Amino acid sequence: MIQLSYLDYIALEKKSFLHRLSPTLKIIGMVFVLLGIVMLRNLPGFLFLYGILLALFFLSRIPVKIFPLTLYPLIFAFLFIFISGFQIHFIIMVFLKVLCGSTGVVLLLATTPYPSIFSVLGRVLPSTFVTALFLTYRSIFILLNIFEETQQALYLRGGFQWRHPWRSLSNISNAFGHLIIKGIDASEKMYESMVLRGFKNKIYYRGD
Amino acid sequence: MSHIHLPDGVLPVWLWVLGFVVAIVVGAILLRLTKKEELTKRLPLLGMMAAAMVLGAAIEIIPIAYHVNLTVISGILLGPSLIFLATFVVNVILALFGHGGMTVIGLNTLTLSIEGILGCILFRLFWKVLKRLTPATFLATFIALLFSTFAMIGVVSLGTSHYKELIHQEGKGVFEFHLSKEKDDFHAGERAKSEINLKRFMAIVLPLGFIGWVLEGVITTLIARYIHRLRPDLLHLEKETL
Repeated sequence: MIQLSYLDYIALEKKSFLHRLSPTLKIIGMVFVLLGIVMLRNLPGFLFLYGILLALFFLSRIPVKIFPLTLYPLIFAFLFIFISGFQIHFIIMVFLKVLCGSTGVVLLLATTPYPSIFSVLGRVLPSTFVTALFLTYRSIFILLNIFEETQQALYLRGGFQWRHPWRSLSNISNAFGHLIIKGIDASEKMYESMVLRGFKNKIYYRGD
Repeated sequence: MSHIHLPDGVLPVWLWVLGFVVAIVVGAILLRLTKKEELTKRLPLLGMMAAAMVLGAAIEIIPIAYHVNLTVISGILLGPSLIFLATFVVNVILALFGHGGMTVIGLNTLTLSIEGILGCILFRLFWKVLKRLTPATFLATFIALLFSTFAMIGVVSLGTSHYKELIHQEGKGVFEFHLSKEKDDFHAGERAKSEINLKRFMAIVLPLGFIGWVLEGVITTLIARYIHRLRPDLLHLEKETL
């Protein structure tokens, strides 16, 4: 999740054709990818879709170190192996569905800044929900900064060690507690400054 | 372990569409019950708690693919209506990160919000009865996670006929596909082996889930104790005995 800030940086800094494409078109493209995942019923179809997504991934000059992010959801897909009774066809199909979905999403995020996505979503979703999305996105970066400071303190107190599970759990919990309290303090300050700037339950984006 | 980040395309369309409809209806009702001024005032806190949940999802305990949800502690701090919106937001952000499917956001929100809402209600109940923070938080978290895990298993089991369809559709569709196996050779024994085995799924999920419930219970309790030490006002406890 720490890579979130890096993804955001890539979305803003890189200049491929996909980065220049309108966010609305990219979201529509993502909807088509999802439709493909839901509608397709054969492996060659999925291989074709995954091939297109991979080609777009590399054509967009997204750094290769982001690629493992697309493989992460496979961890959860493994559980479906046990449902199917180890049917190879089912397993490959589920894995390809997962890979198509995650590659599409990572591709969208690595080429479109979050605020642009929220701006498009704001046209169809309730303003409270989109504001909550934006505030969460903003808060992730605030918490990441606090987390970096906390990591140092956590390390000095022994960090996480399998040999001392109770102490490790206590350290992690204190770190989360610290993160939450600091986060709440920051959210109170953020709310006050937002009210001072005229916040009334809706955040306006450039072009609104 | 309560929400397993179901990927796209695995569940039947009717199920995930229903998940979205129910999540939207429940969300609309809960938001309608919340005062607008209170909602506006608490939105930054909601954002911060949702961000903490997203960050919690980043810390993976590798051998059991478990991560802390922090849903119960967020439920205690936010209350039942706002935790629902927070879990919706968390699932959207996690899905945008490839952490669970886009189509299953509704279902994942419902299972995860069971944890938050139930955790919040049980915490208040146990606090009234026990008047002790540690057992109240641990029991509330453990029971809430137990319920949401069974809700998740329920969701997975509702898609049984769809999994069967996916397994038996080998070779159907626009493009032909064969794995050097003729359909006629499909013996009865093999057919039985290919049937959906939810018992096996539960045998994997429940023991891992149990470890997760205990871990989350301990972590949530320690966090609640930490918050109680520094900012007891955030827990909204009536009579302080510990």
